[in-house]
Amino acid sequence: MYKKVPRMTKTMRVFHWINVFSVLTAVITGLYIANPYYQALIAEPAAHKYVMAYNRFFHFIAALLLDIVSVAVAYLYFRSTFDKPIKKLIPNRENLIEFKEVLLNLLTLNRRKNFDSSHSDSFNVVWFTILHLLLVWMLFTGFYLYVQGLESGLSSIGKWWPALLHIVTDWVGWLLGGQAGVRWWHHFSMWIILSWVVFHIYYQVWRTIFWKEGDIAIVFGGYKFKKVK
Amino acid sequence: MDFFRRDYLREMFTKPTNLIDTNKGEEYYRNLYRKAKERLDWLKFQKPVRENDLKFEEYISNWDISRRDFFKWVSMMTATLMLPPSFEPLVAEAAEVMNRIPVIWINIQDCDGNTEALIRSSAPTVDELILDYLSIEYQETLMAAAGDQAEKCLEDAVNKYKGQYLLFVEGSIPVKMEYAFTTGRHPETGVQRVRRLAKDAKAVIAVGACASFGGVPAAYPNPTGAVGVMDVVNGVPVVNIPACPANPVNIVGVIMHYILTGNLPELDSLKRPKFAFGYRIHDNCERRAHFDAGEFVEEWGDEGAKNNFCLYKMGCKGPFTFNNCSIVRYNDGTNWPIGVGRGCIGCSEPDFWDKYATERPLAASNIRPPALKGVESTVDKVGLTILTATAIGIGIHAISSAIAGKKESLNKEE
Repeated sequence: MYKKVPRMTKTMRVFHWINVFSVLTAVITGLYIANPYYQALIAEPAAHKYVMAYNRFFHFIAALLLDIVSVAVAYLYFRSTFDKPIKKLIPNRENLIEFKEVLLNLLTLNRRKNFDSSHSDSFNVVWFTILHLLLVWMLFTGFYLYVQGLESGLSSIGKWWPALLHIVTDWVGWLLGGQAGVRWWHHFSMWIILSWVVFHIYYQVWRTIFWKEGDIAIVFGGYKFKKVK
Repeated sequence: MDFFRRDYLREMFTKPTNLIDTNKGEEYYRNLYRKAKERLDWLKFQKPVRENDLKFEEYISNWDISRRDFFKWVSMMTATLMLPPSFEPLVAEAAEVMNRIPVIWINIQDCDGNTEALIRSSAPTVDELILDYLSIEYQETLMAAAGDQAEKCLEDAVNKYKGQYLLFVEGSIPVKMEYAFTTGRHPETGVQRVRRLAKDAKAVIAVGACASFGGVPAAYPNPTGAVGVMDVVNGVPVVNIPACPANPVNIVGVIMHYILTGNLPELDSLKRPKFAFGYRIHDNCERRAHFDAGEFVEEWGDEGAKNNFCLYKMGCKGPFTFNNCSIVRYNDGTNWPIGVGRGCIGCSEPDFWDKYATERPLAASNIRPPALKGVESTVDKVGLTILTATAIGIGIHAISSAIAGKKESLNKEE
């Protein structure tokens, strides 16, 4: 007998897939911006084809979606009526034990399972938080690079926007050694995020296979199933 | 529905996106004009530093510069300084009273390239004339005096114009190996020399990448510990005019601005005048359309190169570099790096030799920025290594899980 456990609301799932497509888009376009890896073999004058411009456009749109979703997710960490992830981040006894148990479950290849797997566990929440911190890092380094192109101090939405970006991101340049350094970190952090993604997908699939609770369905249908004795 | 009306569409698609705030309002320019006028009148009343020298008109005729050429230069200079056309008469007057300002020009660790850039033009230019007309009291490369006489010139100038002269510094200053640069019969290290002369200067103007940020002598591993002027001088305003060499237009522009207003121009966070370093090369590049179109030169001399495609993939660092080369160009507007078909190497940015001077984009460059302690191209290598390590870890875990799972089910069956 299995019980249906709701794990992700519709909003959470929409956010998840926006994140997926934004990260993918940002990586594909970002690699092109860093070092254009395909040629624009279109027999048109330069004025009519906009290959680099569209790559940059979609890169910024992806970044924008990620940033907006991150703000919403940060809010939901604290104020969600469904499940507040922040509760699992507080390093109290209960959470530390759960974190250790989930980690041991993974390391012992599911030989040991001393925690309640029906709700979002502390280990996974920590893992998600790492991604959100990485995204914040990308936001700062990315906007630092972006505002270099708005050096005139004007933008289509007013002077306040570049001014705000300068106030918020100028310290990044100081910290990482100017545009070259910031670009390096922005690029390198992409690889860290990709590694994060690889483990994330692996772990969810692994759970589905070994826990036999249909974990992979969470992100599509919003439910998983828990055996009731 | 008026959505497709021409006016509406035009308004929608013509947003100001890449304009610098050059118009500071009528009120501002009226005040500035009045102030500049007063200052020029006062300067005219002053005696030239060297009264026996030629007058400005005589210079112009001696150098075979036509009245038309001079006014062309005046218009160009006014525009460079981002002033309205009404300032043109003042700029012309300012050129005339330039000999009231004493200048001392010293060279530390450098190749004299900035001086060369100023004097090695195909025909006498107004910039060059200005340099000649300026009362340069001391300039090691150009002065007739040598040895003790030269040293005496310097001492006299410093004593006579205490607190009035502009000090131009060319070249980086070694601080780790101070003795790497010493001059004169009464040896003095670079640091001592710059500090001593800067103490009595009205302002210090660092000319070229070396004097601004250390430049080539400061490239990894920087054996002499070379730094820019702003790192050794305190208590005196410093203006950086980087680039390798500094554009004569920008050098003269800073002097012009000082003569006109008595102040130094507005500076950015790296102490570079905003009128010259407000835009990136990229923002006004003649090949920008090819960048946006994704049309890149793939190797030297290919079809793209013949068609003036964007040089980004050949390592152009225009998107990182703030300078006005793309507008004023070099050698009296003859040409500039992108114009001759090679990329920008970011020579007006700090640490350009280590960070920017390659013929590939930063993401594919095999260079070692000292601040990061890592080869640029290894970003991808290290990243891929982490990714591979993750994948291998996962593989091991997956295989062992599978084996363990099999055993478990076998146990169960038993």
